Amino acid sequence: MTPLLDIHDLCIGFRAYGQHRRILHNVNLHVNEGERVSLIGQSGSGKTVTMRSIIGTLPMPPGQIEQGSITYDGRSLLDLNKRDRNQLKGSGISIVLQDPMLSFNPVLTIGRQMDDIIRFGDIRTGRSRRIQDRHAHMIDTLQKVQLKDGERVLNSYPMMLSGGMRQRVLIAMALLNKPRLLVADEPGTALDVTTQAEILALLNRLVTNEGLSLLLITHNLGVVREMADRVYVMERGHIVETGTRDQIFAAPKHAYTKKLMAAVPPLYGASVKTTHHEGLKPIVTLQSVTKDFETRSGWLNRVSGRFRAVDDVSLTVRQGDIFGIAGESGSGKTTLAKTIMGLIKPSAGEVLIDGRPLDGFAGSQEFRKHIQIVYQNPGSSLNPRRTIAQQLSVPLKFTGSDSAAIGGRIRDLLELVDLPQSYANMYPHELSGGQKQRVAIARALSVNPRILVLDEPTSALDVLVQSTVIDLLHRLRREFDLTYIFISHDLSLMRNFCNRAAIMWRGKVVETGQISEIFDHPSHPYTRALLSAIPVISAEEDALKPSITKEERAAVLATSTQLEDT
Amino acid sequence: MLLFLFKRAMTLLLVLLGLAILIFVIARVVPGDPARIALGLLATAEQVTQLRDEMGLNDPFPVQLWMYLSGLVQGDLGKSLLTSRPVMDDIRGALPATLELVLFTLVIQIAIAIPLGVMAAIYRNSWVDSLLRVVSLIGVVTPGFVLAIILQLLAAHHLGAFPVTGRLDPGLSFSADITGLLLVDGLLYGRLDVVADASAHLFLPSIALAAAGIGQVMRITRTAMIEVASRDFVEAARAYGIPERVVTFRYMLRVASVAPLTILGLEFASLIGNAFIVEFVFSWPGIASYGVRTILQKDLNAVIGVVLVSGVFFVVANLVIDLMLSLLDPRHRIIAERGK
Amino acid sequence: MSAVQDINFASHGLSARQMAFYRFRRNPLAVIGALIVLSVIFAALLAPWIAPSPESAGSFVDFRNRHSPPSWDNLMGTDNVGRDVLSRVLFGYRISLGLVVGVLGVAVPLGVVLGLMAGYFGGWTETIIMRFTDIMLALPPLAMALAITAVLSPNLINAMIAITLLWWTWHTRLIYRIVKAQMNEDYIEAARVAGASHIHILFRELLPNCVSAVAVKISLDAGFVILFGAALSFLGLGVQPPTPDLGTMVATGSEYLPEMWWQAVMPGLAILYAILGFNLLGDGLRDMLDVEL
Repeated sequence: MTPLLDIHDLCIGFRAYGQHRRILHNVNLHVNEGERVSLIGQSGSGKTVTMRSIIGTLPMPPGQIEQGSITYDGRSLLDLNKRDRNQLKGSGISIVLQDPMLSFNPVLTIGRQMDDIIRFGDIRTGRSRRIQDRHAHMIDTLQKVQLKDGERVLNSYPMMLSGGMRQRVLIAMALLNKPRLLVADEPGTALDVTTQAEILALLNRLVTNEGLSLLLITHNLGVVREMADRVYVMERGHIVETGTRDQIFAAPKHAYTKKLMAAVPPLYGASVKTTHHEGLKPIVTLQSVTKDFETRSGWLNRVSGRFRAVDDVSLTVRQGDIFGIAGESGSGKTTLAKTIMGLIKPSAGEVLIDGRPLDGFAGSQEFRKHIQIVYQNPGSSLNPRRTIAQQLSVPLKFTGSDSAAIGGRIRDLLELVDLPQSYANMYPHELSGGQKQRVAIARALSVNPRILVLDEPTSALDVLVQSTVIDLLHRLRREFDLTYIFISHDLSLMRNFCNRAAIMWRGKVVETGQISEIFDHPSHPYTRALLSAIPVISAEEDALKPSITKEERAAVLATSTQLEDT
Repeated sequence: MLLFLFKRAMTLLLVLLGLAILIFVIARVVPGDPARIALGLLATAEQVTQLRDEMGLNDPFPVQLWMYLSGLVQGDLGKSLLTSRPVMDDIRGALPATLELVLFTLVIQIAIAIPLGVMAAIYRNSWVDSLLRVVSLIGVVTPGFVLAIILQLLAAHHLGAFPVTGRLDPGLSFSADITGLLLVDGLLYGRLDVVADASAHLFLPSIALAAAGIGQVMRITRTAMIEVASRDFVEAARAYGIPERVVTFRYMLRVASVAPLTILGLEFASLIGNAFIVEFVFSWPGIASYGVRTILQKDLNAVIGVVLVSGVFFVVANLVIDLMLSLLDPRHRIIAERGK
Repeated sequence: MSAVQDINFASHGLSARQMAFYRFRRNPLAVIGALIVLSVIFAALLAPWIAPSPESAGSFVDFRNRHSPPSWDNLMGTDNVGRDVLSRVLFGYRISLGLVVGVLGVAVPLGVVLGLMAGYFGGWTETIIMRFTDIMLALPPLAMALAITAVLSPNLINAMIAITLLWWTWHTRLIYRIVKAQMNEDYIEAARVAGASHIHILFRELLPNCVSAVAVKISLDAGFVILFGAALSFLGLGVQPPTPDLGTMVATGSEYLPEMWWQAVMPGLAILYAILGFNLLGDGLRDMLDVEL
């Protein structure tokens, strides 16, 4: 059987800044009719370039196809004339793009954008349909992605829909002209894990029901396991390993694949590392903390609305704890972190650090020696225009270190986070993401705090880099007897890193306790919904995930198939 | 939509009020006695005192401000020392000429600059782009008065068809009594000779006035188009098989045109400012050349009036542009309305 | 993620500085702009030594030689009292650049500080500063400068004051916009957590992130300040004769149009040349530093 899509010996180079660089090296990949194939790669591996060369949107120049061929349904895509090539777009091969917000034209209604796709698809194939027929087809297609209120969706602008709905509409758009091959670029990755699970299930169902072939491009191994029959692993423009899903996941051969697998923290099973240690006396105490936000607008910034970000939260973190605070976007976990840091004043309730209330304490020199924070994205938390040494010196300068001692302290700090001394005079953009995060950690540690708030410290990093940063954090905690408050949406990571945790849902803490207790016996339906939605990389983990009934799910999760009434 | 317009209008009214107060304060805090300035150095102390009383300069400051603002609301801008007529009447007489010039200029700017900007973006880094870049630069860097003089010079030698002063040939008897705009009224009365002659008169001044804006708007359109081209939705549209022409004009230009339109609004005051020079050089009987004459005569009431009217121009122009933006980009409207 | 971002430029082995320099070098217009600006600065600094007839800068008269067209003796011809136009243009650049330095020297620091404060402190500081700039934006700048100089009595210093009064708002708006965008970045909060003072955050953290934009804006501004000053003088409200000012020269010269065209056109082109240089340079810097204004 000839494959539907066959990439043979593809080499692509780029020209930039007067230099030439090869991005893809002899890539071979094929997708059979009705098959689900995944291409795994970390950022910069060349997977996006591969995708673009298939759908025909690779910018040329600077891109250049230097060798090889791409064949679709027996026709060589690179040799087709422009008209025939365009004919295949949307009707032969279609795509589902990654970011559901950015993939829409913000100024046209959904209906308008969908209608354009049908109309120009018709023109290319020499058909013509009346507007009513096209409309009916749009409503039908929206039904397929479980959007029942099609009429209202069509009349909406993209910004009026939720992220999950937008992702569904994007899938519907890809289906409009009945393609045979669907290329999906990180579908659902930008969404919360529970919404992502719905989107993945939907894609799987569509592939079966519509008889599609699927090429899925992703960095997430868990997603691949749920979505692929066959897998390609890409590293720096090379396909390093290929095989059926079970072959790859059961017995990875290439060192890179093995490394990737090992770096994914397991959710359940024998390989889970439980952090066993008991915290001592309470060091951070939250008593019924509530935070309301006011939204302001207009010429003179008047208050125009309120919402409750944190709702009556009481927690105790003990000295030595690695305390996880988990939740999806909008759950209030970041607001809570900032309240602990004294950056946001609670509307009600009290935060005690070492038994002392924050009023009058927060912001003082002594307070800063108690608690510091590491942010999610070091690209944002480091000033792009200041050298590493300048940035490391700020906390020292403002906690009264004399300038003579600062230089020596900076050298110690770089050593502490395993960075060479030469980095002191570099700017952040000269460092990799992982190195930048090390600098951010060094900065937080510079004044010898006892507590570190870690706000998603690894979520901007690739999975391989993530594990090295986590190792560093473990070492530092032991060395300096630190207490961590670890904010994250990544429950697998939390399972292996924290000893205690709290799960947040719509501003409330719904569950708190020992990490193994929460994961092995989740009591709140939301915790169970969250845990069951996480894509994992082994059958063993899948079997151990908690189960949840449809009714429970519906009660705790906002559905991504219905419009909110605003 | 109505709510949105209302909110914008209120904002702009506040700008106007602030403007009126600001101008009044500036006029009162500048060194020198307005009455003395008005009468000149030869006037006697009694004459000055008398004029001060007439102008209300001896009242306390808040009273003066109140008198001035309440006069303003009734359309009373005081009397011009230059023409000895109410400033409002002078301005009313000169307004249509300026309005016609400015509107014509705006039309030229949009009609020329946006298509050229799109072209530069489509053919970016080719010779077309370089050529257009030079053209836009020449537009931006040529001072209005230098361009005006060069155009007059060329007109005298080569472009005989284009008159270099005034709005209409004195030989044509025509009174524009409907809108005051010669082009519009000429059409309404069916006087094509008037339309033709008025267009010829408009040609050179509006080119001189439009040049800077054309260069700038072209540049910004190009940048915005290139920025929009890199967005995901453009790639999505291409991948779904939407033809390139439609991608460019419906998908990209509609989003990209927000930037040049916003700039046209922001730079509107500069346009009016440049009109002061251009009207002066071309003896265009508008409020700007009236403004220059009154400034040279230190006719404070008239100067305040002209600046205020320019402010109104700015406010109205920005309201219109806001309206256009909200039609182009629903986010504009939705965000503004949600604010409530 | 775009394909171009997908490729890590760091792996080209180029530093950011090298990439910026590459962009500048690949842009011949920027290089030309830099050369023009240098030539104008040299002309202004060295005018007394390089002008063919330095005495023409003052109220010197030579009636036998008036209205002579451009020739080898007078490359740009002579004016209505026989002064060498080229010499007056060279001296005119001193006035123009003096105006630029005077105006931007005050307007830029003032505008930048107010913009930093409005963006950083927010609240009432922001409301007052930004609403005030909104109002200033509605004023036709040239008309305001005219009115102010007219009332204050026309001379170079007053022209400078008038233009400065109008100019700072543009920098305030620019900096405000940048700071507002930067305020979403975590490094501001990180500095606060580290205990940094407001002064430190404003001038050590935020200001360095505004520098490129301000550099580009200053370069573009310089041209427009020259234009503004010339326009004021053209209407008789700027520098007064016999000081050699380009705008005044165009105004006087335009009385002798079209026959003795050089008297107006030559100084006009001289203005254009300087503005063109600053604009080309500014554009080049904008591409090089990759900033949006």
